Amino acid sequence: MGVTLTALLEQIANGTMMGAIYVLVALGLVLIFGVMEVLNFAHGVVFMAGGYACDFFFVHLFGNYPAVVILTMLTLALVGLALERAVFRRLRVNVPMQIVASLGLILMAQNAAVLLFGPSALQLSVPTVHSLIRVGDLSFTVQHVVVIVAAVAAIVLLQAFLHWTKLGIALRATSQNPDAARVVGIDPDRIYRITFAVSCALAGLGGALLGPLFLISPQMGDLPMLKGLTAIVLGGMGSIPGAIIGGLAIGIIEAVSTLFISTDYRDMVVFVILIAILLVRPWGLFGVRVRGEA
Amino acid sequence: MGRPFSAAVVSAMASLCVIASAGAAEKSVDIGIVGARTGPLAAAGKFQFNGFDLAVDAINKAGGVKIGNDTYKIALKIYDTHCNAAEGASAMERLANVDHVVVVLGEVCSPAAAAEAPVASDYSIPLILTVPTAPDLTKQGNTFLFRVNADTDQLNKALAAYIVEHRWSPLAFIAWNNDAGRGGVNGMKALLPKDIAIGYVGYFDVGTVDFSSDVTNIRKSGARAVMLLMDEEPGALAIRQIRDAGVDAQLVGTLAMGSDRFLKRVDAKYLDGMAQYNAFPPGAAAPRIVEFAKAYHAKFGEEAHGFAAQSYDGLMLAVKAMQAAGTASDGAAIKKALSAQSYDGVIGHIQFDGDNQAHPPVYVTQWCNDGTRKIDFPADMRSGCGGG
Repeated sequence: MGVTLTALLEQIANGTMMGAIYVLVALGLVLIFGVMEVLNFAHGVVFMAGGYACDFFFVHLFGNYPAVVILTMLTLALVGLALERAVFRRLRVNVPMQIVASLGLILMAQNAAVLLFGPSALQLSVPTVHSLIRVGDLSFTVQHVVVIVAAVAAIVLLQAFLHWTKLGIALRATSQNPDAARVVGIDPDRIYRITFAVSCALAGLGGALLGPLFLISPQMGDLPMLKGLTAIVLGGMGSIPGAIIGGLAIGIIEAVSTLFISTDYRDMVVFVILIAILLVRPWGLFGVRVRGEA
Repeated sequence: MGRPFSAAVVSAMASLCVIASAGAAEKSVDIGIVGARTGPLAAAGKFQFNGFDLAVDAINKAGGVKIGNDTYKIALKIYDTHCNAAEGASAMERLANVDHVVVVLGEVCSPAAAAEAPVASDYSIPLILTVPTAPDLTKQGNTFLFRVNADTDQLNKALAAYIVEHRWSPLAFIAWNNDAGRGGVNGMKALLPKDIAIGYVGYFDVGTVDFSSDVTNIRKSGARAVMLLMDEEPGALAIRQIRDAGVDAQLVGTLAMGSDRFLKRVDAKYLDGMAQYNAFPPGAAAPRIVEFAKAYHAKFGEEAHGFAAQSYDGLMLAVKAMQAAGTASDGAAIKKALSAQSYDGVIGHIQFDGDNQAHPPVYVTQWCNDGTRKIDFPADMRSGCGGG
């Protein structure tokens, strides 16, 4: 059976939507890694917390979805500040302990979600999930478009923050050389706190956008975390353009690949391509080659 | 069907009277429970634990159970296996060596059950499964492994007959990427005649939430019906995504998709006309089901679930076997008594075959446009909307 144009377009649209989510996760990971050299494996549960926070605010506070999404981002930014202060500040130079602490956080957060919200997944019913957009034979929920538009807006705002604000420039300076940044009066500890807050806000945004479309469950962040991590490896560790291109590429490749092979092999396709690219460019698509790399 | 149902209820009530006939209990007997309290299948596990809890409540509130010359209260020793094979085997070891139980019930997942079964056999402890459906489990020659619920082959047989009756061809599948899903698809393929074409088969891992690739392939295949071999949460997502994408094929689901709880996840407009196999139609008028559904709702405040009914029956059967064996400490004797049991439970008549597999009735229910269900198969059980 041949691949029709309709099927191809449908999968590109679906892949772009999932890719946008991976980009939000990847941007958070790349910010923390680029500035602090911390690999936060617990970033997936921050994403999950965004889903639960959005559901809680929408159901118990007010039913205005855009406002709830912003409130969720602010809440998760506070969670990020707390995480940086309580866990990652002390472990900044200890990578093995960062990994152990991250894994511990995952267990604690997922079990806390079960304890607080029950074992059944939550279904957040926002109006944009129930409205459909029809394009020829295809139809999508408005939430698909909301996800893509919100992710694009987040990327643009992040780039504007990093390049056009004093704080953003200080963040980039700290990322390049913390000691030199300190010499010119930048407080790296403050920058680390802000980095963690922005990173967690982006993950929270991802959870709040994806939650209504799918389900809110303790494991909802596992796959986006894995794909986000893959995106930053593919794009180049520490590269923001790499995280964006990597996230979108993974989303579209895995979606389109299912037109040719069984759906249960789509993850395999992504990782085969990742391995192939890393064999040729071990520093990733947009990463910086360092001395000693092949 | 009125008389057999009445007979079943009378039999079940009589069983409880016999179980509870001894007045106040002085001692207690521990029954081991393995299942998923946390992890991706915790939601399914909850219904199983609810069934066990309800059975224990019923027995203990009636004064306990007389086994031999003594009367016992029932206590549960529960272990969370997270549906993980290694943790399942470890829990069985602990139940045998530390807790010294003589019978174990439970498990949600077939792989975990497969790991627990040899341990049960090593320690001569009967293991009674109440949810896992992989057909091979009871075909390993393990005489200590029993299964109360219908396996995938039995469930598929009813559904295959239903699909053939409606001539739904080509047929598409979205199924779990595990032995239950793959076994289900292969079982269905083997049961369907050649003129029912298979248009598309897609497998997904537990935790998957995005079925858009499957929807595209289903549309491409021109499938007239889509069979969803999955549980409640992915089922709700898949249905929404199929319908939102404008695919109007007939939907066919599993027992997890035939409940009021499922209706809360998916609007009635999405479900209208959807059929699903069912081991326990909670809205059926059969007195055994009505009574159980009432008791379940009173304790847990929600509609009864098939996993709970199967687990309730499993525990009652274990206690009956202990009574028949006259021992609360000899696993081999209890196993022998289990093999000989003939029990009319909530899910129907339970009697084990040579492989220790029970053959309870299987139904196909269908959603009506008002959000109620009806029984559509077997023909002699057909009901109107609201009776499924």
